[in-house]
Amino acid sequence: MKQITVVTESSPGLLAQVSEILAERGINIETLNAETVQDYGVVIFTVDRYDEALVALRDAGVPAVSEDAIIIRIADEPGALARISRRFHDAEIRLRSVRIIRRDAGHGLVALSTERTERALELVKDVLIS
Amino acid sequence: MEAMTEDKALTAEDEGRLDDFYRAMEVESSRSLGYPSNAVFDYSDLYRFLHFPLNNIGDPFVESTFRVHSRSFERDVLRFFAKMYHAPEDDYWGYVTSGGTEGNMYGLYLARELLPEGIVYYSEETHYSVSKVLRVLALRNIMIKTLANGEIDYEDLRETVRIHRDVPPIILANIGTTMKGAVDNVDTIQEILRDFALPNFYIHCDAALSGMILPFVKDPEPYDFAAGIDSISVSGHKMIGSPMPCGVVLAKKKNVDRIARSVEYVGTLDTTISGSRNGLSPLFLWSAIRKLGPSGFRKMVVGCLKMADYAIDRLREKDIDAWRNNNSVTVVFPRPATPVLEKWQIAVFRDIGHMITMPHVTRDLVDELVGDIAGTEP
Repeated sequence: MKQITVVTESSPGLLAQVSEILAERGINIETLNAETVQDYGVVIFTVDRYDEALVALRDAGVPAVSEDAIIIRIADEPGALARISRRFHDAEIRLRSVRIIRRDAGHGLVALSTERTERALELVKDVLIS
Repeated sequence: MEAMTEDKALTAEDEGRLDDFYRAMEVESSRSLGYPSNAVFDYSDLYRFLHFPLNNIGDPFVESTFRVHSRSFERDVLRFFAKMYHAPEDDYWGYVTSGGTEGNMYGLYLARELLPEGIVYYSEETHYSVSKVLRVLALRNIMIKTLANGEIDYEDLRETVRIHRDVPPIILANIGTTMKGAVDNVDTIQEILRDFALPNFYIHCDAALSGMILPFVKDPEPYDFAAGIDSISVSGHKMIGSPMPCGVVLAKKKNVDRIARSVEYVGTLDTTISGSRNGLSPLFLWSAIRKLGPSGFRKMVVGCLKMADYAIDRLREKDIDAWRNNNSVTVVFPRPATPVLEKWQIAVFRDIGHMITMPHVTRDLVDELVGDIAGTEP
């Protein structure tokens, strides 16, 4: 089941907002996990109609990250991202892209685009968000 | 034989809609303070060319059987930019693009063809269109943190390149970031690459706005071919001003020639990203260059920098924390309240907003904006 992650400023209404956007299009949320990481709200969920959900969120101006990315949280310090990159390099797992989603309050959330394999997830299990 | 089209008039309703639109554009173009478009230009002497289906299809340096084009003007424009950016004489190639994005796409396309295994490094304050280009070109890429002023974090870059030193680096350097006008120092970047003794690397500069600022200031940051870059993209509709978006991309010809063999794939000598290309925008750029020239552009840039300082002074008088980077006309301040954003088309990103003191920005406009910001709670 493909998952979608929404990362945005933490707000009590985020979960309700995401639910409402999807409900308006008749998209069912099948699993859902919401948490606050530093000052961010992170909602991770799976739905019955994956592509339509991504379009609905985009149309509503809600930044969503698709299944193609692994989201991690790292310290905001020089070389922190490089050290994560090193793990993949040493394991000979190819990263297609590395993108900073949010960065403040001493931490950053980063989207790693690679094959979402158990081996890849194991490499970042200590910093894994979704 | 008579032409197959006949003149038909718009309905009164359609005419009315156009009139309303015209009046709206008069207001909106004067109040655009958050986007880097110069709204002061007069190309009315070129309007007669709107009667022709000008199309600079393909390579501006290769003659075409289609002769309704402005290629000779385009080549003059390219020559002007090549000289300004210290491109090797007779060893540059480029074209007038549809805007900065196409120029970035061309530069990164060239980089990919030269270094197919390369990884693109770019900062988190890079314009979002670069992410799209990377996706289109299927280039591996790693985003690097930025420093507080918007420059790429050189330590982060160093540490990341160190890990991937077996892979050729492709650097997308920002010569003026979108939100803060920060310039990535290409000297420092090359020092890092040299420290790792990397034999092959490529530097493309996204100089959308500052590519028309740095040539005209006394102490420019390193940014051009003299500083060792491989290609550069600059917008034409920003500082110069144009009725339609346009830009210029320049690259080293020897690199362009090296990838010429890849034309086998498509069976054409057409080296531009677009096939059919706007033949009017080279005329606009050529006209501005001929009328203003380096001294006119210098005067324009100096005026914009002075206006930026004026805006900073006025904002600080109201206890608003405003600042700008060296040689930047982008004035950064805390994100204003929503009514201010809507009235002035102020661009915001998270907790900051900015105004860009383009040539159409007057002291009166700055005073009015500062009054609005100071008079509303963010």
